[in-house]
Amino acid sequence: MSYTTDELIITCMARELRGEVLVSSVTAFGALAAHLARSTHAPELAVLSTPESGMDVAALPTLTLGQFLTDNQRAIPLTMEDIFDAIFTDRFRIWINPAQIDQQGSVNISSIGPWEKPKVALVGSRGIPEDTSHLSQGLYYLTQHTPRNVVAKVDFVSGAGWTDERRKTLGPSGAPTRLVTDLGVFGFDAEAGMLPRTLHPGVTPERVREQTGFPVEIPAGVRTTEPPTDEEVRIIRAADPLEVRRLEALAGPESAEKFAAIYERERQALHAAWPRRRH
Amino acid sequence: MSKVLTTADVVARIPDGALVAIGGSSLSRKPMALVRALARSDRRDLRLIVNVGGPEVDLLIGTGKVAEVLYAFVGFEVMGLAPHFRRARQDGSVRFQEWSEFTIMAGLDATIKHVPFLPTRSGLGTDLLKVNHAFKTFQDPFNGETLVAVPALRPDVALLHVNLADPQGNGVVLGDGHMDALCAKAAAQTFLSAEQILLPERLQTYGRDVHIFRTVVTGVVEARWGAHFTGCAPDYRADLNHVREYLAAARDRTSWSEYLEKYVYVDEREYTNQLGGEHTLGERLRV
Repeated sequence: MSYTTDELIITCMARELRGEVLVSSVTAFGALAAHLARSTHAPELAVLSTPESGMDVAALPTLTLGQFLTDNQRAIPLTMEDIFDAIFTDRFRIWINPAQIDQQGSVNISSIGPWEKPKVALVGSRGIPEDTSHLSQGLYYLTQHTPRNVVAKVDFVSGAGWTDERRKTLGPSGAPTRLVTDLGVFGFDAEAGMLPRTLHPGVTPERVREQTGFPVEIPAGVRTTEPPTDEEVRIIRAADPLEVRRLEALAGPESAEKFAAIYERERQALHAAWPRRRH
Repeated sequence: MSKVLTTADVVARIPDGALVAIGGSSLSRKPMALVRALARSDRRDLRLIVNVGGPEVDLLIGTGKVAEVLYAFVGFEVMGLAPHFRRARQDGSVRFQEWSEFTIMAGLDATIKHVPFLPTRSGLGTDLLKVNHAFKTFQDPFNGETLVAVPALRPDVALLHVNLADPQGNGVVLGDGHMDALCAKAAAQTFLSAEQILLPERLQTYGRDVHIFRTVVTGVVEARWGAHFTGCAPDYRADLNHVREYLAAARDRTSWSEYLEKYVYVDEREYTNQLGGEHTLGERLRV
């Protein structure tokens, strides 16, 4: 079966998840990766439907219905305190989609240009400082790997990679472990920084060098990513009938059209799968 | 004793320069009716505390009410960046302190626990410690480990929106709780808006869903659709079409003034009428 780049990325993300831990599904990619992992090699994962509720929910990526998914499925509600307790005790995983990631694996969602006088003020570090000081897996993904988002040095450290600061205080707690992009799967070495583990089918080392904002070492004979199986592709498509996953990679009028269609149809999709719970 | 107020009564009790914590998260259960009332008042120099902020911060900045924002995040999620927040961050017209989700909660919790700070590892290694001088690092007195001291946050006012309340100020939250209970307990005065105010004996039938307690609540306002255009699960979802209208209006001065005339410089009844009335809202947003 043929697959799209977003399905390849989601499959690579799913393969990193394991264990009896809470998994955030803040983005459609994160939700689908968690769902795919649970449906295949990691049935013990506890997948959430919102940033703080819906444990053991069956996935249905939507724009506005996360909390309704919790209720209609009678999934287990948690609190913000429960979430941070899970983060601090390393029983939580989250795939983060940063605005920038650098050679050492530091990430930025706060500001392009200096924080005090930003060229573009982004959203603020959110919960990244918590994740990057406590979790044993630091998981990142980008739908488009470019020299603008895979950079030599992030403009602002929302989450610490293998920096001197990290070595002095945190050590490996919360350190970056994986980056999945449309070009490949990368790891992070405490000394050498970002290293390719596999390149996706058809991606050349030259292309990765061109699209990376620093000189990246690509070992001769680097392996090719195992593509998604038919079963993996089927699971992703069945779990995302509205194709919310496509929104993350689209822009302009195409994105607006897709958005409108999803927003219009998502209540129907929810009710078809799980009738409303009356209160 | 009844604590039922109007939105105007609530605004009258918020002084210029007040430190105001706002509940909800992202596009969920923001107290927008109270925020709109503040936005059309002559209050100034407010200092806001939000965890995951969005429309409430953006509207108050866009109407010139804000001197400073303490935030972990301000944005419109998949819909894009918050336009007035972004402009103010870039032109320096408002002061900003970037925190993180847990440290905002820990700051409120420190006030509740009556201690000057709470320790955490969160923030170590990040540039938050460089740009936000509210945080200090210290050596743990037991083992000498470096930790971050999160200073207590003591809001003058908390503004929250809940599904149901009673006239005494008990509040029922039926969807995700966010950090609302912390805001309610930490603030000197807490005001709730509620989709509906019920008699106390009816509210008590909600049992464990009563998350906000009258002992920390100063006033309650009945505001149906009071979280619009954010969502209020399980009553209604976020109005993303209105988010798009808001974002388009914020692009230039003329369209922004028109937006304010239409949706902000009006009372709440007119607000729902401008949106096509309660029936239309229900059709579009009930789930």
